[in-house]
Amino acid sequence: MIQVRSVSKSFGNIEALCDVSFNINKGEIFGILGPNGAGKSTIVNILNTLVRPDEGDVIIDGVNIKDDGETIKLIMGVVPQEIALYEELSAYENLMFWGGLYETPKQELKKNVIKTLEIVDLVSRKDDRIKTFSGGMKRRINIACSLLHNPKILVLDEPTVGVDPQNRNHIFEVIERLNNEGMTIIYTTHYMEEAERFCDNIAIIDVGRIIAQGTLKELKQISNVNDLLTIKLAAADNETITRITSENPLFIYDSTSGTFKVECGNIGKDTSIIINQIQNSGGVIERIYSQGTNLEFIYLKLTGKKLRD
Amino acid sequence: MFKLFKKDLMLFFHDQRSVILTFLLPVILITLFAFAYGSLGSYDGRSEPVDLLVADLDRTRSSKNIIYKIDSLEDIRIIVSDVNKSKELVIKGEYACALIIFEGFQDSLEAGHSGPIELVYDRSREMEIGILQQNVMSILMSATGEIIVKKSIEKYLQDQFPDIDKSTSDNILRTALNDNNNTIAIKWTSVVGEKNDTKLGLIQAVAGTAILMLLFSVAGVGTSILEEKENGTINRLLYSPLKGSTILYSKMLFAFFISILQLTAMFLFAWLILSMDMSVNIPGLIFMIIATSFAVSSLGIFLAAVVKTRQQAQNLSTIIILVMSAIGGSMIPLFVMPTILQKIALLSVNYWGIQGFYDLFWRVLPLEEILPKILILMSIGLIMTLASVQLFKKRIMKL
Repeated sequence: MIQVRSVSKSFGNIEALCDVSFNINKGEIFGILGPNGAGKSTIVNILNTLVRPDEGDVIIDGVNIKDDGETIKLIMGVVPQEIALYEELSAYENLMFWGGLYETPKQELKKNVIKTLEIVDLVSRKDDRIKTFSGGMKRRINIACSLLHNPKILVLDEPTVGVDPQNRNHIFEVIERLNNEGMTIIYTTHYMEEAERFCDNIAIIDVGRIIAQGTLKELKQISNVNDLLTIKLAAADNETITRITSENPLFIYDSTSGTFKVECGNIGKDTSIIINQIQNSGGVIERIYSQGTNLEFIYLKLTGKKLRD
Repeated sequence: MFKLFKKDLMLFFHDQRSVILTFLLPVILITLFAFAYGSLGSYDGRSEPVDLLVADLDRTRSSKNIIYKIDSLEDIRIIVSDVNKSKELVIKGEYACALIIFEGFQDSLEAGHSGPIELVYDRSREMEIGILQQNVMSILMSATGEIIVKKSIEKYLQDQFPDIDKSTSDNILRTALNDNNNTIAIKWTSVVGEKNDTKLGLIQAVAGTAILMLLFSVAGVGTSILEEKENGTINRLLYSPLKGSTILYSKMLFAFFISILQLTAMFLFAWLILSMDMSVNIPGLIFMIIATSFAVSSLGIFLAAVVKTRQQAQNLSTIIILVMSAIGGSMIPLFVMPTILQKIALLSVNYWGIQGFYDLFWRVLPLEEILPKILILMSIGLIMTLASVQLFKKRIMKL
């Protein structure tokens, strides 16, 4: 559906993107993960033909964006990071205005507006001015405004910034529903749990470069990050701790939490071996729990920094 | 473009504050200024008579004759007083000027000297002093001049021709002074503002205030572009199939439309409530409203185009609008300003707009005579529009 090939873009002396390439298949949710300023919004603006790449090509639905930007705009809906709505107008007036920019026949547009209001569950508030809405409700209308021309591709640029958990879940449900209906979705975020939740493929971007991309499983392999087993002893005296760590050099004692941490390649197989090793060294286990690899570990491993830095 | 225009109209009329600032506030200000300029009630385009205190210590035929002549003038009202009280009242600011005719005034004139006479005045009351100076001086010059000349001739005849008989002497004097035609009689005829009933102060109040408030309104429209840039709606518009130029032109069209609406509303108010005669030149009025709206709306958009943020736009607009309105005659009528300021005023939109409306309502000029001012306003609009388009393309529409 979308092919991005060796795209680079600079703004003056600032290199916003460098040799970025990725493919997005029809009907998938593609996550672009990176901190603020990494280049996510530049990718969005290039995909929507607003910013012309200095180098490289972008092919969307068989059309090169350099050749026919107008067609691209008609098949793509963009949900901007800002709540780009007119606060003095009602939800219905906003939707009619934004949808009307795509030359949709008025009767069809009216139907689309009501349908979209149902999707974001705000039909009952359609005549209220946007300024009376909560932040989460505004975000939902913000998404609705980009759906009115029935786009094949929906780009969501950090759609859950500043949204409470309840509204966030609502937005997730909307995205999943649209995806189930066949819409291709590009989702930029710096919240890793969001990318983990529903992205089929993820590109991790940092300072304008894609440092890794693939499914969560592929990223795990690329970054060589293992699952983590944490063990708390019933009585952790110094003698026992020293004995365990000297007999098992891979066991790391975290004095802050008073626990041993062990990386495992295969947590199912390795857990019983580790329990035996501790018991053989004289340790009595009080509690043991495992933590699967997540994007946060992967990002940390790949970039050496936390995502929210 | 029509959809964007319609959206801006909806936003405008949803915002009660904008509507009040655009229509109600100018109406209030026009009414206040109209009262301030004395153009309501019995005012007919000429000033109320100026009071002149007179203290006559001479009490002779000559002094009474001068006072009588001054009192017969329409523009001056005589108030008789004594010397000390007259000076005190001028110092206290209750009157602008006092004329003191000292004892020996007539004797001095008959001796061929200028009479002992004094005008005491308050320098700050320039306009009243101007009226008094013009009228009082002309009467004093003619009245005292006649006596001095007569006495000088009589003295000459007595010195040179001691035996001359009285009838011959009187004949010579009559011929020399040409009876009552001894002074140059100038007929004063007002030729401006006589063809209509509209009051000068009212035209100043309506045109000056309307253009001032118009500038504030369109500066608000210009600032709204930056507001839309800041809250992301401009970018969202650019995500749609709309072109950047369409967005900009729709804003310009909206500013132009609001300007026409506001100016029309102001003149309708002046016509219906303040009895300003609109019928003098309807085509001229329509052209002036269009040209002024175009110039002012383009200026408002230009002010928004030269800055980067909404805050900068608000600050810069306020300063420029106030300065331009002050020198351009929106706040103070141009004719009371020093010559240098009247020349600087040519640089302001306000000047061309207000003078155009003066031509229309006060001088009652035909359309072809107002055309140069209309063309200047249109040129200002065109230059500002072209400059704004370039600046907006570089600054605002750039992502």
